[in-house]
Amino acid sequence: MTLNVSTAAVRVDGLSRRYGAIRALDAVDLTLERGITGLLGPNGAGKTTLLSILATISEPDTGRVSVLGLDPRDGTERLEIRRRLGYLPQELRYHRHFTVTAFLDYVAILKEITDRRRRAEEVARVLAVTGLEDRARSRIRTLSGGMRRRLGIAQALLGGPELLILDEPTAGLDPEQRLRFRELLSGLPGDPAIVLSTHQADDIAAICPQVVVLLQGRVQFAGTPAGLAGTAAGRVWAADERDSRAHLSWRGGDGRWRHIGEHCPAGAELVTPTVEDGYLLLSHAAGAR
Amino acid sequence: MTSSFPGAAGPAAGAAWHAGEDLLASYAARTAGAVADWSVETHLTGCASCRSALSAHVDAERLARNRSALLVRAAIGEGGRVRRLLRRCGVPDHVLTLLAATPSLRASWLLSVMAVVAVVALEAAALGYGWIPGGGPVAGHPGPAALAPFLLVAPLLVLAGVAAAFLPVFDPAWRLAAAAPFSGFTLLLVRAVCALAAALVPVTGVAFVLPGPGWLPVALLLPSLALSAFALASATIMDPRAAAVTTAALWALPVLWLASADVPLLIVAPAAQVACAAVLCACAVVLCLRRDRFELGWMR
Repeated sequence: MTLNVSTAAVRVDGLSRRYGAIRALDAVDLTLERGITGLLGPNGAGKTTLLSILATISEPDTGRVSVLGLDPRDGTERLEIRRRLGYLPQELRYHRHFTVTAFLDYVAILKEITDRRRRAEEVARVLAVTGLEDRARSRIRTLSGGMRRRLGIAQALLGGPELLILDEPTAGLDPEQRLRFRELLSGLPGDPAIVLSTHQADDIAAICPQVVVLLQGRVQFAGTPAGLAGTAAGRVWAADERDSRAHLSWRGGDGRWRHIGEHCPAGAELVTPTVEDGYLLLSHAAGAR
Repeated sequence: MTSSFPGAAGPAAGAAWHAGEDLLASYAARTAGAVADWSVETHLTGCASCRSALSAHVDAERLARNRSALLVRAAIGEGGRVRRLLRRCGVPDHVLTLLAATPSLRASWLLSVMAVVAVVALEAAALGYGWIPGGGPVAGHPGPAALAPFLLVAPLLVLAGVAAAFLPVFDPAWRLAAAAPFSGFTLLLVRAVCALAAALVPVTGVAFVLPGPGWLPVALLLPSLALSAFALASATIMDPRAAAVTTAALWALPVLWLASADVPLLIVAPAAQVACAAVLCACAVVLCLRRDRFELGWMR
């Protein structure tokens, strides 16, 4: 994906990172424009590693990173990135004794909002944006999974960040909660740049104008959701019978088999591919290599 | 509505007097001045029609924001007695919030420390004062061998408190802290110093009542400080958990060796104090030089 550098929220060149013998990221080149970018990939694809590097809490072994035009290797610029960043880790853990408000108050201090009055205003603002006002006094451990995820988004929104990095924000959410999450993300004030990781292709199709597919530490695709779906054009079929030559086959809710592959099964008809089809085809191709 | 002036808006003016639109508008915009504000406020408490008229001059959105902020402040509360006392002593409110999230400053942790200190101290006292068979003064000294468990455990408890203040494993929200602009080094120092102080109080307090030399409570300070500083300085070079464990071992091994030779007090003797002071100074220098390490986060 090549975009205008001046408008890019994130630029990554030749980024590599190893954990012992495991290569989490392998020479990743990427430019992400402002707007919502979905990072799609299975578990272990390197999504969390990439996002933690962008969030300045991890360092690459090799390669260059530019976040909001700033270099995280430089102490002053790293601090500036953190001032303009909202980050939701994959597993956000909480102090057990915190209430929703106390937790947000704590994170607001970490974001250098030390004035008590301003902090209260900011906490009230993000509570309103995420619809958690009614649970302000609740202990976090009493919240449902969906509410905790909303609380995670709320803490990321403190201070009005220019860049939001959300690591698997929809993990563990039921379909209704995921819809609410999409609604929340689409209506965020200030129009921040958002990079979110997920392994749910329908999340990408629903809200992300840009998508990056990361497989085995490498960028396999970068473009639009329509472009990703287009990679499977002419290779997705619907048939009444299973075809053993297909790369992937599964029976849909209508009882018909959906095949992804190069060969047209007997009696099959071509169907319009989805983002998930494109992603599955890329996954298969990467696994076959 | 009858136009009026600030001085006529008080209760003495009676119900016939009301604040005029201009006055209410300037009051809502906070441009009326202090005297007019007081007059209007006094009048508003007893006049429903003026309160109603005032609402037209108030920014409803700002009012809603202020109300939400007030509710948040109410939800956060003023904290317990200790917190209010510290605030009166001049400790900034945000620092108190940061400290409240420090595991080794939680009541449960401090109670555990006190329990361990009490058990070890009781054991030392029972042996040293001859309360249990087999104890009593050893070789003319008031029970130095009995002090070995206390000498082993006391500085390690202080070290554990400091380690819990900076090890990611004890801070569930450490990733948020690492990605936030608040200085990691400042956060570490604030938490470590308070954890150190909190653990030193019961440790040195108990040392006063133990059998042994009168200088024992003071003699524990330098080793405790040196161990804590060594753990922090080592964490800038190696994995923080490994740093804490290594530091603990560097204290435990010589104490056990000296205890086996029936001279455990040598670990806090003048020569050892000098060594601890040197370690403390060296670690302070390392911490200053490598403080940027704490700004990077723990994932290297």
